[in-house]
Amino acid sequence: MSRLKLSTFQYWHEVVLFALLVGLMLTAGYIAPTFTGLPAQSEMSTHVWELALLALPMTFIIITAGIDLSIGSTMALCAVVFGMGFEAGISLWICAGLALLTGTCAGALNGVFVGYLRVHPLIVTLATMAVYRGVAEGVSHARPISGFPDSFAVIGRGTVLGLPIPGLFFIVALVVAIVALSKTPFGRSVYAIGHNENTSRFSGISVDKIKLLLYTLSGTAAAMAAIMFVARRNTAKADIGQGMELDVITAVVLGGTSIYGGKGRIAGTLLGILLIHETREFVSWQWSKDEYNAIVVGVLLIVSVLLNTVLAKRRVGD
Amino acid sequence: MSKNAIISKLGVLAQKREYGVLALLVVTFITVGSQNHAFLAMGNLKDMLVACAPVAIIACGMTFVLLLGEIDISVGSMMGLLAAVIGILTSPQHMGLPVGVGICITLLLGTGLGLINGLLVTFGKVPSIIVTLGMLTALRGITELLMAGRWITQLPPGLRVLGVGTILGVPVCIWVAVVVAAASILMARETPLGRRIYAVGSNSKAALVAGLPERRLKIFAFALTGFLTAVATLVSVPLLSVIESGIGNSLEMLVVTCVVVGGTSTNGGRGTIIGSILGVLLLGMVRTDLIFLRLGETSTYWERAIQGAFILVAVLIDHIARRRSNLEVTQ
Repeated sequence: MSRLKLSTFQYWHEVVLFALLVGLMLTAGYIAPTFTGLPAQSEMSTHVWELALLALPMTFIIITAGIDLSIGSTMALCAVVFGMGFEAGISLWICAGLALLTGTCAGALNGVFVGYLRVHPLIVTLATMAVYRGVAEGVSHARPISGFPDSFAVIGRGTVLGLPIPGLFFIVALVVAIVALSKTPFGRSVYAIGHNENTSRFSGISVDKIKLLLYTLSGTAAAMAAIMFVARRNTAKADIGQGMELDVITAVVLGGTSIYGGKGRIAGTLLGILLIHETREFVSWQWSKDEYNAIVVGVLLIVSVLLNTVLAKRRVGD
Repeated sequence: MSKNAIISKLGVLAQKREYGVLALLVVTFITVGSQNHAFLAMGNLKDMLVACAPVAIIACGMTFVLLLGEIDISVGSMMGLLAAVIGILTSPQHMGLPVGVGICITLLLGTGLGLINGLLVTFGKVPSIIVTLGMLTALRGITELLMAGRWITQLPPGLRVLGVGTILGVPVCIWVAVVVAAASILMARETPLGRRIYAVGSNSKAALVAGLPERRLKIFAFALTGFLTAVATLVSVPLLSVIESGIGNSLEMLVVTCVVVGGTSTNGGRGTIIGSILGVLLLGMVRTDLIFLRLGETSTYWERAIQGAFILVAVLIDHIARRRSNLEVTQ
């Protein structure tokens, strides 16, 4: 139970991740000096915001020992709703509202199945992953929609006081997530559910409601990510967000959140996001091949969980 | 109520699910057949079974994995990689090795990949969803790297036979699927191995106390699924005119859907091979139904949505059935 003692240093995982990140950047800077330069980094940072935003609710969900595989498909569905609304001549603000509503409902459906019907989140979100992507393909006939006005592209590419607009969204969400998870009774309940769901239930924590809320928020975040993505690429299509769930889960798990629940921090997730982002960007910078990226992310996911379990075992052994 | 009675009650429930799927199968068959007589033509039914065969072969392995409370979502990417490997090994455009050697290497590679999944899940203690999710991406990446955007169009006749050949007028792949299904049913029902898999799946702690080798059973189930994926690749890929890197995309989804719709519980311990085979036939029919019901060309876009909806409905039925059986148990 040394993990619960306050006197021991709790942030070893974050320190290790930070060291890895520094090591990666030093190596990358040695091999390709322009890669670590500010212009390249700020250009590449535009790719990270969707991943980063989705990783926040995913951290909460994984801490409750759940998982959400449907976020990539939810993104596609929201993007298609947004695009088709735009085609129908509806004002962009209302389109964005519709997309957010779609994402929220999609997330809530997951939440009802996981929370109230108590079906394993893996099966629920594996099924809705197919349903949402299938509906997106069905209503749009898998054709791309583009031609959004320049004023809209600002959401994806514009800056305020030198900070990218999607980045501002993320920072606000980040602060809310940190406070909610570490400073509120709600955050403590999330950890409690992950540690022992039955005990939490008997202690009067409304487990079902909290799960419903978390999966719903995950859907809302996916809708926001979809709008950012469409604004950045100026195109909405039913195939966007494919494989996004994998990147997000990898970032969260790499950040030290235990897939078995009960353990994890936003700080770790943040480092996980950075590590994944820089690794991916460096691989495509150096070899310009997406195939390597798939291999690297897949292997990184398995290895990070493997390391987590090995380290956890050693800590218990101490 | 004694434990045996509970188990038999659960068995009855699982069997009910099979009857349900069978009834749905018959109803769909009659409805679509009466709407469009071309659906009932021998040629179409044969095509449908040929399309179902590889899914059925993998579903047998997947049933054992789910019975043990695990999942394998890497089978689609695995099939993509194995298709690329058999193509590169045997095609006269590339290495041009003898067909027998190519088949052996493919089977070995499939089993090996399944073995890696199993070892990571048991000894690495990484949850199977994470292992196979990682594999799903990594293997697809490796496949794309191997194929490098090429298409393999020439396959040796010896390999083509596996896809287009017939024995007694029935395509080879259907024979293979029938043999695999029969062997799996026998294994699940009549052998100690099969009974142990059910025991570990329904209560792993009790199985541990009883001295059952949980880890070895899980490794076996994953390796078997890998092996069967290789078998499915060998009988389905030679049917295609080209091998490209996208083969097997989202196949894992279809296989898991079929098995879950067929009544196998994702919590482990409950389900049968026959149920999975019925699930495969039902889902396979849905796919052709979309074409034969003349809903228009665009209806095929909805295929994935329908597959996913099937899982959700199956899960809901499971939930209701479970609640009813829980009520009976407490009474």
